[in-house]
Amino acid sequence: MRITNNMLIDNMMANLNRNLNRVSNYQNQLSTGKKISLPSDDPIIASRALKLRTDVAEIQQFKRNVNDATSWMEITETTLKQIGDVMQRIRELTVDVSNGTKTQDDMDKTKVEIEQLKTQLINLANTTYSGRYIFSGFKTDKALMDTDGKFLIDISKNEQIFYEIGIGDDININVAGCDLFHTGDAAEGEKSSFINTIDELIAALESGEQTTVSGMLGKIDSEINNILRVRSAVGARMNRLELTANRLDDDNINFTKLMSKNEDVDIAEAIMKLMNEMNVYNASLAAGAKVIQPTLVDFLT
Amino acid sequence: MSSSTFFGLDIATRGLFTAQRGLTNVNHNIDNINTPGYSRQVLEQRASRPILMANGTGMMGTGSEIVGVNRMRDEYLDVKFRSESQYLGEWEVKQTLLEELQVMYNEPSDSGFNTVLNEFYNSLQQLSTDPSSPSARAALKEKAMMLTKYFNSVAAHFEYLQNDINEIIYAKVEEVNSLADQIAKLNQQIYNYEVTGNVANDLRDQRGYLVDKLSKIVNIEAYEVNYGKLPNGRDDMRFVITISGKALVDHNNVTHLEAVQRENKLNEEDIPNLYEIVWADGNELTIKSGELKGYLDVRDGNNGLNGSSDFRGIPYYQRKMNDFVRVFARTFNEGIIDVDGDGVLDKVSGHVDGYKLNSREGDPASGIRFFTMFDEYGKPMSSATFAAAGGTPIDYDAMYSQITAKNFSISSEIFDDPVNNISISGAAEQVGNIEVLRTLIDLRHNTYMFNEGSPEDYIKTIISCMGVDGQLSSHYLNNQTVITKQIENRRQSISGVSVNEEMGNLVRYQHAYKAAAKMIQTYSEILDILVNRLGV
Repeated sequence: MRITNNMLIDNMMANLNRNLNRVSNYQNQLSTGKKISLPSDDPIIASRALKLRTDVAEIQQFKRNVNDATSWMEITETTLKQIGDVMQRIRELTVDVSNGTKTQDDMDKTKVEIEQLKTQLINLANTTYSGRYIFSGFKTDKALMDTDGKFLIDISKNEQIFYEIGIGDDININVAGCDLFHTGDAAEGEKSSFINTIDELIAALESGEQTTVSGMLGKIDSEINNILRVRSAVGARMNRLELTANRLDDDNINFTKLMSKNEDVDIAEAIMKLMNEMNVYNASLAAGAKVIQPTLVDFLT
Repeated sequence: MSSSTFFGLDIATRGLFTAQRGLTNVNHNIDNINTPGYSRQVLEQRASRPILMANGTGMMGTGSEIVGVNRMRDEYLDVKFRSESQYLGEWEVKQTLLEELQVMYNEPSDSGFNTVLNEFYNSLQQLSTDPSSPSARAALKEKAMMLTKYFNSVAAHFEYLQNDINEIIYAKVEEVNSLADQIAKLNQQIYNYEVTGNVANDLRDQRGYLVDKLSKIVNIEAYEVNYGKLPNGRDDMRFVITISGKALVDHNNVTHLEAVQRENKLNEEDIPNLYEIVWADGNELTIKSGELKGYLDVRDGNNGLNGSSDFRGIPYYQRKMNDFVRVFARTFNEGIIDVDGDGVLDKVSGHVDGYKLNSREGDPASGIRFFTMFDEYGKPMSSATFAAAGGTPIDYDAMYSQITAKNFSISSEIFDDPVNNISISGAAEQVGNIEVLRTLIDLRHNTYMFNEGSPEDYIKTIISCMGVDGQLSSHYLNNQTVITKQIENRRQSISGVSVNEEMGNLVRYQHAYKAAAKMIQTYSEILDILVNRLGV
């Protein structure tokens, strides 16, 4: 084949350009840290990258939800414990005055204390978490009951607040006040059966009849049992939250790792390849410079 | 019989002339080494007609002469080059433009669609954990605006690009016409020179170069047609260039192309007044390849819809985004979606079924559509105005077909008072109720929302589709570059000027010239003896 000078130059330019393109490709990878900069560089990596980003973003949001749920349920749990403690105290006092040796004076003292404890119970029923009433079902902006233990709102056991802690995985975080302080759903103005029990106890103490007072023990026990039932349910849910939190932590690490594996450059490999391409480029420059220079003109005198 | 006294001088003079022509030719070739389209010229030299000696001693040589200047060119390679360069032009354009389209989506990155959608859903989740919080509600509004603005901005950029391409198409048509005019002029000149029997080497090179340029812009065929015989007995050859069978240049006549503005849009997603390319004489033009085809495909390609090409160009992606925002808005607003994949739209809770934050016992559901569109003044449209287009009974298709990616917006109610008007509660006066919000969040993973799956799947499909097309066009472009490069190399191998060769010729002719001069000197000396010293 006849070779002309312009062919040499054109071919050299085309090859240099191709080499430089590859150098720039690796250089780009190293400076961005990513294998691809446009979907067309590798559509498969691009579409996986999109999927993994969504997964990671969701996991992180679920983690935030789990944290919020945990805080809410910790408050609930603490409140339930306090209610339990108060009821335990009420039971002790009731047992104390139930034995025949107590005078009316003792009973009056006990009554005063139990009245205080009742106020405390009502305050606990109106506990808030960052401004929201935790036992008020969906009406988190309204207090559950007034100072007499009457419900201020309609409330149903169905008013369960769910947080999403995984795709299609919801957890109920609240305890509807009627479940704890009443039997079944309650209407506005209705008296809480729980507080009613306390009121009955107070009335019994006032009357000074020990049999009536000791008769209250059964009712108190059943309220305590009810509280324990709710507490254990909350405990079980908190347990589940904890497991979910651990799993989400693992998922977060795994998916972030996958994301990095999918789209991040293996630096060592990219540097090696860049060096390799640089060598090829330098060699082609050197060869080109030698080849295109001399012609017969240089040797004719 | 002997030769005449001065015959030797004649031969030597011819030798001088031949060598001189040779040197001129070398000179011409070297000067044009970098002229684009130039083909090296070679002298056709031969021994001049010999004299037959009457005494049977054979023929007497009479020296040399130049009978022609030939252009080294392989016409086959020209045809081949032109049939390939049209595809080079087409894929160059497509590859560049597809890259531009991909940049507009800005994926994969931390600021593309995916991020925007993630943040929108995250803010919904955040709201679900604190549904009465004004700050979470305000944040949701901002994230929703981020989502709508993303679509607005991508759609607007697509429109700018479509407009830019339209301008380029106009300019390219002008370029085709200008090239055609120049070629027609050259045809006339070449014809005039060659009618006398010469070959207009340099003019033919110029014409060839212009035809090469033209072949990259649009699919052409260029050939010489025999029109019969000239009075001098030579073939009457005329040069013709056709596009899809119709002559653009017919010898010295040109039929121009024209870019006329379309009266009706080809695709509903198009910007108005795009150019249609037609023949200036009113005939329709089919463009099969070349840069023009590349631009037209990217500007008009709607995957074969509306009679456009099968290419997935700007209208296709605009349509896909419009479909997305329509279905997404309908689902989010109305809860009308195919929940179970049976192909029939179902009704679940949508934003219209939610209750406002400040709703009172007995209030109806808010009826507020979260997403609407910008009105003619560029303000978010109210839910009621938007719904009016649906008529009664409500035609949801008519209502939501008003939305495009470009005018997608949150409704004025959400814009003005996000705290109260974001309606996520399943009952009045229940600020902690998130029943509606939960169905809205669940929609994210509804794989029946689109044929392609969930919202993310849909966009993923668009982007990988664009990625695959982009990758394909890069491959085509690389292949086409290699092919045309190879043909160009072969052309250069035949037609290119080699400095070495020319230097060789230079030395050759220089020697021949010197030798011929020496002959003259020798004859001069001989004649000196003959004239001055003999006899007298």
